[in-house]
Amino acid sequence: MTAYVIRRVWQMIPTIAGVILLIFILFNWVGGDPAQVLAGKISNPEQIANIRKQLGVDQPYWYQLWVFMQQVFTFDFGRSWSTNEEVSRILLTRVGPTLTIMIPVLLLETTLAVIFAIMVAYVRGTLTDRTIMIVCTVAMSISFLVYIIVFQWLFGFILGWFPVQGWSESFWKNLTTYAPLPIMLAVFVGLAPQLRLYRSFFLDEINQDYVRTARAKGVPEKKVMLKHVLKNAMIPILTNVGISLPGIFVGSFLLEVFFSIPGLGREIITAVNRSDFPVIKAVTVYLAVLTMVINLVVDVLYKYVDPRVSFK
Amino acid sequence: MADNILQVENLDIRFRIDRKSEPFRAVKGISFNIPANTTVALVGESGSGKSVSAMAILGLLPENGIVAPESRIVYGGRDLLKAQLPEMQRIRGKDISVIFQEPMTSLNPVFTVGEQIAETLRLHMGLGLRQARARGVELLNEVGIPNPQLRINSYPHEMSGGQQQRVMIAMAIACEPKLLIADEPTTALDVTIQKQILDLIAKLQEQHRMSVLFITHDLGVVGDIADTVVVMQNGVIQEQGSVKAIFEHPQHPYTKALLACRPRLDRRPKRLPVIDDFIKGDGRLHLEERRRGTSSGDPIILEVKDLNKTFFLKEGLFGKRAIPAVKGVSFQLPKGKTLGLVGESGSGKTTVGLTLMRLHDATSGEVLFEGKDLLALTEREMMAYRRRIQIIFQNPYASLNPRMTVGQILVEPMKIHAIGKDERERVDMAFQLLQRVGLSPESFYKYPHEFSGGQRQRIAIARCLTMKPDVLICDESVSALDVSVQAQVLNLLQDLQDEYGLSYIFISHDLAVVKYMSDRVMVMSDGVIVEMADSDEIYRHPREEYTRKLLSSIPKGYELAPQPA
Amino acid sequence: MSAVLTTPQPVARQESPGLWALAWRRLRQDTVGMVSLAVVAFFLAMMLASFTGLIAKDWSKEKGVSYANPSFLAGAENLEARSMATKEAAKAPAVDLSDIDPLAPRYREWEERAAKIAVTETKRAESLPFGGDKWGRDVLQKVIKGSEVSIFVGLCGALIATFIGTFLGAMAGYWGGKVNDFLEWFYNIFTSIPYILLILAFAAVAQATGSFGKGVVSIIVILSLTGWTGIYRLIRAEYIKHGNREYVKAAQAIGATNMSRMFGHILPNVSHVSLVQLSAHVVGFIKAEVILSFLGFGVPVDQVSWGTMLAEAQNELVIGKWWQLVAAGASMAILVTAFSLLTDALRDALDPKLK
Repeated sequence: MTAYVIRRVWQMIPTIAGVILLIFILFNWVGGDPAQVLAGKISNPEQIANIRKQLGVDQPYWYQLWVFMQQVFTFDFGRSWSTNEEVSRILLTRVGPTLTIMIPVLLLETTLAVIFAIMVAYVRGTLTDRTIMIVCTVAMSISFLVYIIVFQWLFGFILGWFPVQGWSESFWKNLTTYAPLPIMLAVFVGLAPQLRLYRSFFLDEINQDYVRTARAKGVPEKKVMLKHVLKNAMIPILTNVGISLPGIFVGSFLLEVFFSIPGLGREIITAVNRSDFPVIKAVTVYLAVLTMVINLVVDVLYKYVDPRVSFK
Repeated sequence: MADNILQVENLDIRFRIDRKSEPFRAVKGISFNIPANTTVALVGESGSGKSVSAMAILGLLPENGIVAPESRIVYGGRDLLKAQLPEMQRIRGKDISVIFQEPMTSLNPVFTVGEQIAETLRLHMGLGLRQARARGVELLNEVGIPNPQLRINSYPHEMSGGQQQRVMIAMAIACEPKLLIADEPTTALDVTIQKQILDLIAKLQEQHRMSVLFITHDLGVVGDIADTVVVMQNGVIQEQGSVKAIFEHPQHPYTKALLACRPRLDRRPKRLPVIDDFIKGDGRLHLEERRRGTSSGDPIILEVKDLNKTFFLKEGLFGKRAIPAVKGVSFQLPKGKTLGLVGESGSGKTTVGLTLMRLHDATSGEVLFEGKDLLALTEREMMAYRRRIQIIFQNPYASLNPRMTVGQILVEPMKIHAIGKDERERVDMAFQLLQRVGLSPESFYKYPHEFSGGQRQRIAIARCLTMKPDVLICDESVSALDVSVQAQVLNLLQDLQDEYGLSYIFISHDLAVVKYMSDRVMVMSDGVIVEMADSDEIYRHPREEYTRKLLSSIPKGYELAPQPA
Repeated sequence: MSAVLTTPQPVARQESPGLWALAWRRLRQDTVGMVSLAVVAFFLAMMLASFTGLIAKDWSKEKGVSYANPSFLAGAENLEARSMATKEAAKAPAVDLSDIDPLAPRYREWEERAAKIAVTETKRAESLPFGGDKWGRDVLQKVIKGSEVSIFVGLCGALIATFIGTFLGAMAGYWGGKVNDFLEWFYNIFTSIPYILLILAFAAVAQATGSFGKGVVSIIVILSLTGWTGIYRLIRAEYIKHGNREYVKAAQAIGATNMSRMFGHILPNVSHVSLVQLSAHVVGFIKAEVILSFLGFGVPVDQVSWGTMLAEAQNELVIGKWWQLVAAGASMAILVTAFSLLTDALRDALDPKLK
């Protein structure tokens, strides 16, 4: 297995190089001269000159690329163009709030989706099944924005159960006061697409031959679902969760913007608005690497879920 | 006369296709009995309704299946079709169990073999965890799995097809059922493994004194193991009786046809009888034997020298693993004759065919056609020779482009090789060829999905004929076809060879068919040619051990009295 | 081969239904599918009418009073409008300064001159069909005009993304080897960055430099350059699967060229997958456009989109003005639902399986 891990890490290198290249092309080449980019956003000409020097804007492109690569490997992306805060510090402090929201969301959403999907798959083809599917389709077609606006208005403004916005320093206070409304919102909205997807996984498994064998052995239908089908369906489900893991670090930026949560997502939006390139570049590169690492870990864990997987 | 343990009465099954159309009637009111301690063979070709009837016994029909209310399946005094689900679940796996055709997909991939066998023991016999495991080991031993202590913890994918089927059998007999339903259990297996599984089932039937309902399309198998035979066609029972009666005095034309149209090992009539012969006449064709063989003076059209093909798989950190599929194969194909290539799965026989056509790149070797080494030519030079050597694939459902009409399929090769001066002429030639292979002219405008397997193979043959080839490679071309259809296609291939002087390389795992069609036979195993001789010679005096093993695996069929000439 | 065969009599050509004809037949029987198709067609017609100026031409005209009530609530209280009116009225000073005002003598002259120039003084409406926004613009017209942006972005973006994904997928799946390795590397780069982040990164550059075009064009570019990956994966898998099928080997055996095999043989067998993906991506892109426009990375200020309407609606709900939220939210929901159901119906019609 060590050989497998080493081989995978070795294969990551060209991809990371490619990501660096893409970000470089995007922000340094297409993005162009910071003077033009920041014109109108930063009034201090000295600051702009400083930034240009740091980036090496007047130097040939390969030099700029070298500067960028150094930044990546020393974890030093310099300072934010707008707040002058150190980019690495920005990233570290913002991750906490994002995860405070997203981890509960991921756990709740997955668990609920699996439970409901099994139930719906059990009654497949009936009116209940079809109705729920239509409801899901309609629910998925309403913009997330509408949900946020309505929920904030209903639960925060009208009913007053939760504060409409805000965040505090205390983790516990966040979890119990400020986080519940956004978490509830995210789970509510995210449930519909997950339910549809997981239901399709379950239905795929139900049509397999081994289910017929289980029935032929006299296994009761409930046990067929909960033992035979579930264990097989967990494979694509876990793949799906694995793929969504990197996304939780970006968080739901809309939630963070609406609820004034100082998370990574909101930070990125702000950075886009202010054309604060160092922040965006750093987040992108690091999340790309994080994604690859998470993928590798998930693939290794796969062995325990799917006995057919072998490492060569 | 033994008592009946199961009685099927007026079984009528329809399938709902969609909301608008009429349901499709798969089984049309059939009745038969299964006596105790007996093997009943339910025989039919595809679409006969045999599997569906058997699945109905345990209520395992797909969700769109409808059983007519007047049908009855009587077991132990009660009608299974009217039984409640919990009652059926008690019977399934305990009184009546099933083994299926595809063991790989019929076993749950995420549970060990031991866990799956234990499940049925714990469910029906109330055994505890450890007891069930111990019993599982015993069962694995009984079905002939070596090292059962170790193998009980294996996953299905870690076992071969034959072993997986043994596991299925172990699961099925675990609770000492009175009836074992075997739905084409050996169809997906190699012929040597098939024999082992058949022997195993026969042994278990005797030892446990259970009845077996054996579903198959292969009458040869039936002759070996069955006590009574039920012959089905298109949802109807055409004939049923003891195996002796069926084989010695078949009454129904369909039964007679089924028995007669399989190529036999001891005779080689000029044409194989087909169902039509029995429906229109009495099937006696009074045909003379066809002589087959080669002599050293025969002109050689194709010569293969030391052909090698190795596949490479990535392995380990940076390494590659070599899998040699074809090792040093050499042979000669005489003009106008048929060279048979026989072997089991993995022997490399198909790879040989594909490599000759340059559909695979050979690793080394020469293929000499009219003096030129085809493997050394550039793709452009090869174009000129492409039309001279053609291939008919095994799967009729995959070898024709579903999005092209038959007409387009036939005209395409003509366009590529500039055959015929204009479109008009090409279309005319296409119509002629359709007629030659026995299809109606309207077929020109139809899509492949509108045709049966046998008809699609004819279209594939017609496609090859558009280019007027010299050599035709038949890669398991009849293996996926029903026996009666197979006979028709074989007759067609033979007619074409007689008429046009084509040379064939006939690849198959079916020894009887190969012997019937070939002048010379090569036996392949594990990438090498084990033995090569004229077909009569190799069957009468096989020299190699492997050849002998292959020959002995062919189901002997019932001991038939010599057929009237 | 010389055989004398009689040429069969020419047969009347009967059209046998191919895949598309059969699929259309199946779709016709699917009520839900047909209704969705009708709804989508309606929206498309509406978009075209709006685009050509037939309707919603004067959406930006401030015809109504501030937060005009919708017609079905015509008589209701409208505090905001009244306070706006009093504010406007209050603009003019109540004091008469004519004796110290140096321009005082000229006022009358200007008034007379102004009166000669015909200026239509439209009275502001008290209520509009679906209400008005803060500036009194007609919400109904805004919704119709806004659909233009969303549908246009959705369709164009999806078309381009599908084209890119299909083409690259075909290349990778068919050729394998180094082409596949390169394209897989390319694919890995794009998929190792979380999708939203990728879009935002592109948006950041688009916004800052305008290198991807302006307004609607930039959104289309962003969405299509980032959204091709899913289709690529599917089409590549299809090409690998079909490339191993015997009909393709048969085509090779008869001497068909690589181009012929890729596009003449395999593509017709795979195009239905692309079509379904196209439909699904239209849905995704419409939703994405709305969010991008909401955040301000989408359409410029002088254009209206459902996203900008929702941005305005954010603050309107607390003062009880719900019509812009409902109008934009509902229109989008109806269109997206219809498209989603259409996608499902297409999938079922093109590749039916027993349910």
